[in-house]
Amino acid sequence: MNKEKSLISKKDLVKSWLIWENFPQTCYNYERMMGQAVAHVFVPASRKFYQNDPAKKKEMMKREIEFFNVHVEFGSVIIGMIIAMEEQKAKGKEIPGEFITSLKTSMMGPLSGVGDTIYQGVLIPILLAICIDITLKGTIWGAILYFVLMFAFSWIFSYANFMFGYRAGAEAVMDFLEKGILNKILKGAEVMGCMVMGGLVSSYVKITVPLKIVTSTQTFSIQKQFLDVLMPNILPFCFTLLILFLLKRGWHSLKVIGLIIVIGILGGLFGILGV
Amino acid sequence: MSVLQAFLCGVLYYLAIGNMPFVGLWTLQRPLVCGLLTGVILGHPLIGAMTGASINLVYLGFISAGGSMPADMALSGILGTAFAITGHLDAKTALSLAVPIGLLGTIVWYARMTYGSIFTHLADRYIEKEQYNKIWRANVLYPQLVTAIITIIPCGIAAYFGASYINGLVKVLGGTVLNIFKVIGGMIPALGVAITLQYIYKDDAKVFLFLGFVLATYSKLGLLPLGVIAGLAAIIYMQVIGSKNKNEVSFEDGGDYE
Repeated sequence: MNKEKSLISKKDLVKSWLIWENFPQTCYNYERMMGQAVAHVFVPASRKFYQNDPAKKKEMMKREIEFFNVHVEFGSVIIGMIIAMEEQKAKGKEIPGEFITSLKTSMMGPLSGVGDTIYQGVLIPILLAICIDITLKGTIWGAILYFVLMFAFSWIFSYANFMFGYRAGAEAVMDFLEKGILNKILKGAEVMGCMVMGGLVSSYVKITVPLKIVTSTQTFSIQKQFLDVLMPNILPFCFTLLILFLLKRGWHSLKVIGLIIVIGILGGLFGILGV
Repeated sequence: MSVLQAFLCGVLYYLAIGNMPFVGLWTLQRPLVCGLLTGVILGHPLIGAMTGASINLVYLGFISAGGSMPADMALSGILGTAFAITGHLDAKTALSLAVPIGLLGTIVWYARMTYGSIFTHLADRYIEKEQYNKIWRANVLYPQLVTAIITIIPCGIAAYFGASYINGLVKVLGGTVLNIFKVIGGMIPALGVAITLQYIYKDDAKVFLFLGFVLATYSKLGLLPLGVIAGLAAIIYMQVIGSKNKNEVSFEDGGDYE
């Protein structure tokens, strides 16, 4: 592949990537998910592949508008890879169309899984937690910092991933996935994420008990003289663990919100809970 | 709030949820960011950013996987912030108002996911006719026009009328009711943390939650330095594990993603 002349230019590739990064979910739907976004990505390629064979060109486009759903930035490696494969096929290599489709669908599962966990489960929460903390200290820079970092990271990562997929091709991508490098990164990310979340609970979950026990000789404040002595913020921490326990038991987040509202109404009404 | 400001709030909501360029789902959709922009529209950027940040605590780890959307955090961030600024609410009260709004907003998302397939069939037809240059219309132009209509109008109306309504409501509600709102607002960020933890609180990582909590509680460190310490802790952990398991070839399958 290196020695042969490629059918599409670097400019076409960049154009394809821009379409993928910007419009993957502009028409997100239950039937094909991102399917037609992939077809859209193939439009620049369609001008170069199968110049003299409209039937085959149509066949390619039909293949690429099928169901597809993946994490955008992690999945861009698949898009790069299938462009490379379609190019080989257009050059006359014996690659069955079904092979491209099945490879595409078999890779979207693992990449979505890892992508959603790392992005939405670790990267975004950590970055958000830090930037929320900066913002709540009284500056708009936290919000701006979050936007800039997230934007830059997504674009750079997606581009690199896309080009890696195009250059390396299917074998190398599969090889990379099987070596479990992603799992190692995930493990470290979990450690970091847990620690930041612990700090976040301490700063931003607020539950106090304003109750005071008044006797003839003294007043005993439950919060100040018992809970805070035990450990400050122990109540919010235990409450967070309780919610985690409920979620792991299969509670829907709606049900948890309902529970919080009930506790809040009862606690606030009778003066048991405060902020 | 002027009509123009309400309209701009609607446009902001459209940009955040319509998935137009600039990776809306990772950036603009977050209440931290759209709260700031709502604040800019209403002339109070800092209050906007801080209210948005408080609202965002609930949605810290909201995961939308496989096309699901558990709550519409953009709508919750924009309207919550708008009400907070125009109604002079504090962040915690705004937060307990914003969460139900976010649940309501998911209707828009599921509507999009449904009508989107109409345009996919249009794209099918373009391919059948070999009009590949028209695919962008089916993928971007038409669906985005519909999305713009169903986002800008309701959000704009809610911002315009909601603001004056909330203003009166707060005056009517007495101290106890507002206190209840605050208590709920204080507790609800725990949900955001717990949802995040669902995905990362496992095996050896568990103890680091306690470490982070105790460290932050007694040191009063901000989250930025704590994040740096956490990053270093992760590296140390990896190195210790790495030297321990040097001879074990197999890595965990990590297959329990949901």
